[in-house]
Amino acid sequence: MGFEKCHPAVNFIYFTTVIAGMIVFKHPIFLLISFVCAFIYSIKRNGLKALVFNVILLPCVAAYAFYYSSYNHFGVTVLQQNMIGNNMTLESLVYGFVLGFVIAGVLIWFSCVYSVFTTDKVVYLFGKVSPRLSLFLAIILRMVPRIKKEAEKINTAQRGIGRGANQGNVFQRLRNSIRILSMLITWTIDSLTLVSESMRSRGSSLRGRKAFSIYRFDNRDRAYVVSNFACLTVIFMAVMLKQTDILYDPRILMNPITTMSYLFYVGYAVFCLMPLGLELWTEYRFWKARKVL
Amino acid sequence: MAHFQIKDLSFSYPTAKGKKSLDGVSLSIEKGEYIVLCGKSGSGKTTLLRQLKSVLAPHGKKQGEILFNGTPIEKVNQRVQSAKIGYVMQNPDDQIVTDKVWHELAFGLESLGCDQKTMRARVAEMACYFGIQDWFHRDVANLSGGQKQLLNLASIMAMQPEILILDEPTSQLDPIAASDFLNTVRKINIELGTTVIITEHRLEDIFPYADRAVVMDGGKIIADDTPRNIGKLLYKQKNDMFAAMPTPIRVFYGAGGNGDCPLTVREGRTWLSKTYPEPMVNILPAEELDDEIEKPALSLKELWFRYEKDSPDVLRGVSADVPAGTLYAIVGGNGAGKSTTLKAVCGICKPYRGKVKVFGKPVEKYKSTELFGGCLAMLPQDPKSLFVKKTVREDLAEMTKDEKRIAEIAAVCEIKSLLSSHPYDLSGGEQQRAALAKVLLTEPRLLLLDEPTKGIDSFFKEKLATILCKLKEQGITIVMVSHDVEFCAKYADMVSMFFDGQMLTTDTPRRFFGNNSFYTTAANRMSRHVFSMAVTAEDVVELCRQNKEAAV
Repeated sequence: MGFEKCHPAVNFIYFTTVIAGMIVFKHPIFLLISFVCAFIYSIKRNGLKALVFNVILLPCVAAYAFYYSSYNHFGVTVLQQNMIGNNMTLESLVYGFVLGFVIAGVLIWFSCVYSVFTTDKVVYLFGKVSPRLSLFLAIILRMVPRIKKEAEKINTAQRGIGRGANQGNVFQRLRNSIRILSMLITWTIDSLTLVSESMRSRGSSLRGRKAFSIYRFDNRDRAYVVSNFACLTVIFMAVMLKQTDILYDPRILMNPITTMSYLFYVGYAVFCLMPLGLELWTEYRFWKARKVL
Repeated sequence: MAHFQIKDLSFSYPTAKGKKSLDGVSLSIEKGEYIVLCGKSGSGKTTLLRQLKSVLAPHGKKQGEILFNGTPIEKVNQRVQSAKIGYVMQNPDDQIVTDKVWHELAFGLESLGCDQKTMRARVAEMACYFGIQDWFHRDVANLSGGQKQLLNLASIMAMQPEILILDEPTSQLDPIAASDFLNTVRKINIELGTTVIITEHRLEDIFPYADRAVVMDGGKIIADDTPRNIGKLLYKQKNDMFAAMPTPIRVFYGAGGNGDCPLTVREGRTWLSKTYPEPMVNILPAEELDDEIEKPALSLKELWFRYEKDSPDVLRGVSADVPAGTLYAIVGGNGAGKSTTLKAVCGICKPYRGKVKVFGKPVEKYKSTELFGGCLAMLPQDPKSLFVKKTVREDLAEMTKDEKRIAEIAAVCEIKSLLSSHPYDLSGGEQQRAALAKVLLTEPRLLLLDEPTKGIDSFFKEKLATILCKLKEQGITIVMVSHDVEFCAKYADMVSMFFDGQMLTTDTPRRFFGNNSFYTTAANRMSRHVFSMAVTAEDVVELCRQNKEAAV
């Protein structure tokens, strides 16, 4: 019912923009907004697993910041000198934290991407660029699990005559494994030949290939794209007004926070929370529809 | 105008040194016909079918002409050929290109460059016609063999072909999926008028419905007539192919019947009741099974097994005793756990309860080298997965250094002429025998066979049966898992029914199949109202003969 039910193009536009935002904005407030939203959304999508992953990321961020500041010594506010006599500065430490959060944030956003984007959405998007490329991708997606299965099958067959990859002494095992691998390669080539025959038989070499899709661009998708770009406009204003700019070197310098700034923060938060909002809204609608019955 | 007109077609492969794979073949196929092409493996069926579609035609020297709707096939453009001539191949897995069912259905339409709206409509239409809606969104990898082959058919039908060519489409399927598939093909022929040309081992399912049967031998067409006449002709010629005919035909001519021969079990029953209204002899002796088996070669005691901790049990208390020196067959439906039982015997699957004893010793007490060197060996379902070298000879040399022994085994399995070929280039039956040779070189006393008759034609089946009999004479115990009731009825010493993770009943084939009324051989279904305990065509013929003698 969630964001994954939207058109792949919508998913794609959203995630590219939101991850771009995460990477580009080094301003702590924007950074924090995006990070927190990613944090919440990933938990909404992946539950406890996401929570564990995200929480583990936090000490990593701190560790990265300390690592970064012990190798970079820009800035004017010296906190202390380390054992080899280099200055540890506040600026580099803060910047280390900023970079750490950017990386962690991108990772969390990607965990959301992973749960929203199924392989056929990727194939579809590639199909928009080039039907042949997407076909190629689909073939790989089919072949890889097949090869894995065949490897298992060959191994089982070999075990049935005492020549499996885990039978005999170390040398025999090694020899058996190599044999299995070499046969797997032969099998793959053989099977690809047959697949290509089946493809040609169904006209894959004809000109003017089109990509089929089961997706439909509906009104919800339109509404989503419109809101997406409305938010982006607000954020763009913030960029034009230098509200997202910040300097860490040599001193932390940023434009003063005004009433206008809050508008931008809210705009950015709305943008980052859009998929979560969509999911909560659909769930609410579903719940309500159920209740009436 | 004929749909396909083949005029005096000859063909030889470049490697064949002038030997013709097709020799002066002439055949005319009318629109809407349903034609069965039969013949032994290697008789040129596949070569002929491939000539009918340019992209699939093998390289080689070709003479003669093929006309498609009056135009020479080389001049028919690729777009028309792709759409109008549908071709289904043997292995369901190797034909599926993409990873999703819906994508596969649309594959041909994508190639033709149809617009989205047409594609959607056609795909929807196909999904409904073939009953694919329920698994429309699934990954291809999760489908059963039967579903995969149905998907192949549907994705070809989506292009709306005029003619459908099927090259042994059900050889990799279990009997139920196979007859489902063949029924669908028949439905297409009847409801849509699509011309069908099919080669098939399972003639019982298609012979009664075919308009014409064409028999090939050595690259030539030796007969081209209605199925009824073909049966008569092959019987008169004493052709090897007669053994492949459906049971009613074999019984009819075997018992010296006159007039029109029956094609289906129903017709066979009518004919039998007319000919033998009150048979004098109506039962064949069926020996009973000994209750006590002394020193079983293999004994299974209440095996329980599951693949994952939370998955359902596959084996639920399997018990069996296999007497030494017998051919023991296990029959039963798909996914009942038959293959898993074999795996449990050779220790690939470890049951969490129960005992496997091989020659009186628990299997886990054997050392691996001891178990697989001279004690037991398993022939897997797909013989291909046993080969690891470039030639059959090298593959056999893998197992033993003893050249003499290799030559002996090669002679037993009748693969001497195949030793220098690549294992992948052999036909299904040849692969099966080469794999059997490889397995036999471990000198097993207990041989486990997983579906040994899968994808083999009746001629090779008989060969396999003779080999198995020879092995039995040498004192080798054979346990075989199979879907092939006809084969089990004819050659097994004991048959067990596997159902729901258990071995339910065990008996001699005659008593086992004689007492079943659904899960039994065609001969038994055809004759059970007049004779009892007749389970093979030979049994029925024998009873007919005895009755004739008694009448005299």
